[in-house]
Order: sequence, then C-alpha cells, then structure tokens
Amino acid sequence: MLQPASTRTTRLYLALTVLLVGGGCGSPPPLDKQLETLASWTATMQLAKERHGAGAITITYATQLRDRADEAFQQASTTIGQSAQTHSDSAYAAAALDSLRTAIRQLEAEIGS
Amino acid sequence: MKKWAEVALGVVTSIGGFLEVGSIATSAQGGAEFGYQLAWVLVLGTMSLAILMEMTGRLAAVSQRTYADLLRERFGYRFFLLPLVAVFVVSLLVVISEIGGVSIALQIATGIDFRWWAIPTAIVGWFLLWRGNFTIVEQGTAMLGLVAISFAVGALKLHPVWPTLGRAMLPSLPSHDRARYWYLAVSILGASISPYLYLFYSAGAIEDEWTIEHLGVNRVTAGMGNVFGGGLAIATLVTAALVLAPREIKVDRYEQIALVLATPLGRAGLVFFIMTLFITCFGATLEIVLAMAYLLAQGLGWNWSENLKPDKDARFATSYSVLILLAALPIAIGMDPLTLTNISMVATAASLPVTVIPLFVLMNDGDLLNTHVNGWPSNLALVVIALLSIVLLVAALPLQLLGGG
Repeated sequence: MLQPASTRTTRLYLALTVLLVGGGCGSPPPLDKQLETLASWTATMQLAKERHGAGAITITYATQLRDRADEAFQQASTTIGQSAQTHSDSAYAAAALDSLRTAIRQLEAEIGS
Repeated sequence: MKKWAEVALGVVTSIGGFLEVGSIATSAQGGAEFGYQLAWVLVLGTMSLAILMEMTGRLAAVSQRTYADLLRERFGYRFFLLPLVAVFVVSLLVVISEIGGVSIALQIATGIDFRWWAIPTAIVGWFLLWRGNFTIVEQGTAMLGLVAISFAVGALKLHPVWPTLGRAMLPSLPSHDRARYWYLAVSILGASISPYLYLFYSAGAIEDEWTIEHLGVNRVTAGMGNVFGGGLAIATLVTAALVLAPREIKVDRYEQIALVLATPLGRAGLVFFIMTLFITCFGATLEIVLAMAYLLAQGLGWNWSENLKPDKDARFATSYSVLILLAALPIAIGMDPLTLTNISMVATAASLPVTVIPLFVLMNDGDLLNTHVNGWPSNLALVVIALLSIVLLVAALPLQLLGGG
C-alpha cells in the first residue's frame, strides 16, 4: 500500500539518523579532530595560567578548567591510538598528548594544586 | 511621557532578554572557530526576529488575541496541534539548556558541580512564577540582564578591526570546514529566532493590555530592542574572535567561554560573565516556561495570566510548575549543557516554518487587522523569512550530523 509522502519522508529521515548516528558510535573521531581538540585544551590551559597569574581568574574557576582539560586528555588517551594509522600519526598524537599534559601541570603549579 | 517610559522599558526588556544560553554559546563558538565571519548570521537573525516580533505584537494589539489563540481559531484545532507540538518540544529542549546555563554559572562561581544546581534553580524559578506577576518575570530579569552589556565593553577594550567586522556583516563563504560553518550558522539562527520569543512577546502584549495606541511602542520595542540585543550577541562573537580564535581555542565546554571576558576585563570580567550567564539564562527559563504554559492554555482554551493568582488559572499554573521541574531533570542527571544547547538551537531553527508561515496568512487578514494589515514590504520580508525557515528545516538534520561534532 502506498504511504503518504510525509510518512515516507519521516521514515527516510529516521533511517538516515539511525545510520549516521549508529555509524558514528563506536568509532573514534578522526585523528585531525582529536589533535585539534588537544591543541585547543593546551591553549586553554596556557591562557588560564596567564590569566590566573594576572589575577583575573579564581582558583575555583582555574581548577574547573583543569578538570575539563584532564577529561579531554583522558578521553583522547584512550581513543587517539585507534585513529593513528601510521608511525608519524602516532608521533603527532604522542606529542599532542604530551603538550596537554605539560600545560595541565603548568596550570596546576600556577594555582598550587 | 508615559508612552516614552513604556518605549524605554520595552527596549531595555528586549536588550536584557535577547542574550541567553543559546546566543552566548553559539556566538562564542562562531567567533572562536571563524573569527568575525559569522557576524552576518547574527544580523540576519536579529532582523528576522525584530520583524516577527513587530508583527505578532501588532496582531495582538489590534485583534486583542495572542498569536497562539489566532492560530487555533483561524486554522482549526487539528492544524494547531502541529505548531503546539513542535514549539513545545523545542522549547522544552531550550529551557533544559537554560537551566544548564544557570547551573554552569553557579558552578563557575562556587566550584560545586552543575548537576547539584538544576533542581534548586527550578524550585526558585517556580516560586517566582507562582508568587510573582508578569512584570517581575518580564522586566525584573531583563533589567538585571543589562549586565550583559559587559560583553560590549569587553569587545571595545579588545579593539576590534572595524572595517573587517563591517565586511563580516555581509554573507561570505568559509575558507575551511564548510559543514561546521553552516552548522554554526543554523545554530546561531536558531538561537536568534526562537519561536518562544515572539509567542511570549505576543502574550506579553495582552498581559500588558496593549491596544492600537501601542503600535508605535511595539514598533520601537521590536526594532530598537532587538538591534541593541543583537549588538550584544555580535559583541560576544567579537570577544571570542579576539580572545579564543588567535589561540585556536574551540569552545567544547561552557567553562571556556568565561575566558573571553576575563581576558579584556580581568577579575571583573569573570564576575560579569557569571552574572550574565546566570541572570540571562534564569530570565529565559522563566520566559520559556511561561511561553509554553501560555501556548498550552491558549491552545486548549484554559484561563491564563501570570497576573492572576494560581487558584484562578489552576491548569495554567500547574503547567508551568510541572514544566520547570521536568526541565531540571536532564541537567540534574548530568547531560552536557553545551551539547544540549547546540542540539536545541538546531531543533529550534528546524521548527520555524510551523509558526512563521501561518503568520503570513494572519497578517493579511483584513477582518483581524483592518487597516493594519501588512503592506508589500512587510509581506516581502515575511516571505523571505518563511523561505529561510524552510531552508533551515531541510538543512538542520544533515548539518547536525555532519557539522555538529
């Protein structure tokens, strides 16, 4: 039996959603996205350190930023290896993780935690 | 003199009410990832909202009925269910995000995890709705919301490059990451043109007992208020473009956005950010919950008014009581407020056709508006907004999937 066009369109959209969302589950983000995220959090830590040094942000707030960066670090540590295809990919990933770990430690030293 | 006081109050209300969790988050993300380039989307969104608010305000002032009332009366109950369900669902998503914004503001201030603040926020909000009146909800929070002007001060202190910003007011194509660019454009439009804003505005015109005498006030409030409010959203984008973009910081969490004010304004900037996020999101929470209760009550023919005591409009009062507590739950169980905000803004953009297209019919109904029907420039503007809303409906889901992550 023919269905109304609106029902078919709705089902098409639902199928597309399930396919894309389902396809996205379980596979880590591409390496370049993960490297971008790590670089972004590294820069966030550096800015937070600078702003705390200037007295612009509280320890409470800086600690929250540190915690969020740490979450990003932990997440990337478990997934970035799966996304790295070559030795040079792995080297980039290790360097990015190392930069973020260093930036987190520098912020911790700044705020004394 | 009284008229000018009303105009001033209306403009202040619109400025204070414009910025909320969606516009802060999407403007900051846009500025961080694409510099000034998405400023034109804010201009487009602001102009569209001003036009829709002017029309729904005029419709209410002349016909003495809200837009929701007229949707049901003129198109029938079965048609009305479509905007009712669509606006209800997206508004619920948005109000959850707003409670998330309030909770994040309190977390940044105190260090106590945002999840603990959701239920207390809902209870305080409910108490204000239960005991307060429309003036407190509309004007009280909007007046306090003027603290959002700190974004404009922050942007000025960062010395934006004016010619570049001026050029960004005209549409341009991205040089990188097109899916993400258009996804953010749709999110910004969703944040700017939320249906709850003009549904609430229309109900407010009835609550404030507007008549034909108020058409001038309506025009100035909708125009000037949104221009200033949109200006603050552009200021948010500019601060993010000048603080976050050069350092290649993307906004993955709300906590990062506070840095855009703490950089130009120091410790005061952090305090202003917390206050802005708290007050604007709290005000929006009250407004959206009321707008949803208005929609239900007007659609189902119940008694409704925030100026009545709850026992005089029990079903209306019960609706906002249940809704505000329900909206706190997803945040209380730990859903990420920023992810939720992005999804809700895209869903909002997709829901626009069901409230924008019927407005064209109503604004040309001589029985309702007599000589105040739309002229051809207003109709042309409304057709453009309606076409834009259809594009947003079609593009929203693919962009959420391709550019949302």
